[in-house]
Amino acid sequence: MLELREVKVSYGAVEAVRGVSLIAKPGTTTAILGANGAGKSSLLRTISGVAPLKGGSIFLNNQDVSKIPAEKRARLGLAHAMEGRRLFRQLTVEENLRLAWSFGTQKTPQPAAIEDIYARFPILKEKSAVQAGYLSGGQQQMVILSCATIRDPSFLLLDEPSLGLAPIIVTQIYEFITSYARRSGATVIIAEQMANLALRVSDRGYVLRRGKFVLEGESRKLLADGVANSLSASYL
Amino acid sequence: MTTFLSLVLAGVSVGAVYALVALGLNVTFWTTKTLNFGHGSLMMFCAMLMVYFASQGLVLALAAVLSLLVIAAFGIFIERFTVRPALKTNNSMGWVVSTLGFGIVLQGVAAKLFGSQAVAFPSILFDSEDFVTIFGLHVSLQYLVVLGLSVFLVVVLEAFLRLTRWGQAVRAVSHDPELGRVNGMPVNAIIVGSFVLSALLGGAAGLLVSQIGGTVDPAFGFNLVLFGFVAAVVGGMGSSVGALVGGIALGVLSKLIGGYVASAAEQPVAFAILMLMLALRPNGLLAQAEATKA
Repeated sequence: MLELREVKVSYGAVEAVRGVSLIAKPGTTTAILGANGAGKSSLLRTISGVAPLKGGSIFLNNQDVSKIPAEKRARLGLAHAMEGRRLFRQLTVEENLRLAWSFGTQKTPQPAAIEDIYARFPILKEKSAVQAGYLSGGQQQMVILSCATIRDPSFLLLDEPSLGLAPIIVTQIYEFITSYARRSGATVIIAEQMANLALRVSDRGYVLRRGKFVLEGESRKLLADGVANSLSASYL
Repeated sequence: MTTFLSLVLAGVSVGAVYALVALGLNVTFWTTKTLNFGHGSLMMFCAMLMVYFASQGLVLALAAVLSLLVIAAFGIFIERFTVRPALKTNNSMGWVVSTLGFGIVLQGVAAKLFGSQAVAFPSILFDSEDFVTIFGLHVSLQYLVVLGLSVFLVVVLEAFLRLTRWGQAVRAVSHDPELGRVNGMPVNAIIVGSFVLSALLGGAAGLLVSQIGGTVDPAFGFNLVLFGFVAAVVGGMGSSVGALVGGIALGVLSKLIGGYVASAAEQPVAFAILMLMLALRPNGLLAQAEATKA
């Protein structure tokens, strides 16, 4: 279970997240919706520990991790697929996967874990010996998601997995995410601008605006209420 | 012909030392993209410390190990107090000044503690008189030991970098420390480790050079670091094989120039090579190209 209590993040005088609370249970997917600059990335970055927490606290399975450094949180089973094509560009696809696996929970033996990724994204098998920096945007996003899931995390944070990708790739990537969420029983948090997409795959949705939740509820209900459509007008 | 061959051999061996220096510079470059400009003082201090320990009646091997331990501690100090604070601000070049400053201070400390005169360095493995004959040439055993050790260290470092998960983590951390953290890599420990390893390589190089030269003084080291730096850049910053190739090429060239032209010309030639290299092949002979795609 992942719990945030009155979490605040600020960079100098700029407050990015101004007191956010939520509880996400294992086996569920939570969508955090918001426009550019709403504070989605800052929120995820402070959960994984790479952005400083300025107030409030963060609990992973009832353990207060607010003061624990990022690498230790990662070892507690947290994985974070960051935005901005963050992968090791000079390493090959397979080296990226192996490295992510070897510093992960290692629940699945390495060869099986890698074969599983290749079965889900056959293109990555073709490109396994290519330096990750030379892949297309969509392929890089596949590697990033694979590196996050190959660690077998109990908490998976995904920052705008659809950003800048062709619709067909977005579909592929979202299938991969929902499949992982279903079979792993992990607590999944997705930050997205594409509200309809994220609400369809999540159990609960939160709308973040200028660093605060302005709306929350069951994703099904938010979808039925047409929140996503009105969101683009009023919130996003 | 004999002169030529013996100059080449001397060059190869001196070049192997440059390679060790270049390797030491490379290791911190891998993790933090910084260079320790006080590296030469570490080499000098290790050698002077060993002379001191030996003069206190310690067994030579123990004296060497003890001085290397002290140098390793300096490595931790350098990372913590001269590099880490400077890296807190993005794109700060403060480490250039602080590492150089540390080197100068260490040089002063050595002069104060051990005197500023050159002191004789004890023969650890072989006397300078020990020779073997290869192809009718007298080859100093010391030269061979230095060469063998350098090649061995290059092989070990390359194997570590390519084959172990920690080696891969080192390459990864230099590229994106934050991504390393998110992936559970103990980034700080890796960085401190690289400075300790770099200091140890410097210390070992210091002991070996003093062994060849026979003496050591507080000013010793700065020139060697310049040559090591040239070797690292010529070979390709960050590449271990590049450091070895660059170091040996530089050693042979400068010895040939020294032998046939004038020994005063060694240094200008080294820097001429550096400038030529930077103009023609800025990434060095063996550096890996950055994988970037717009």
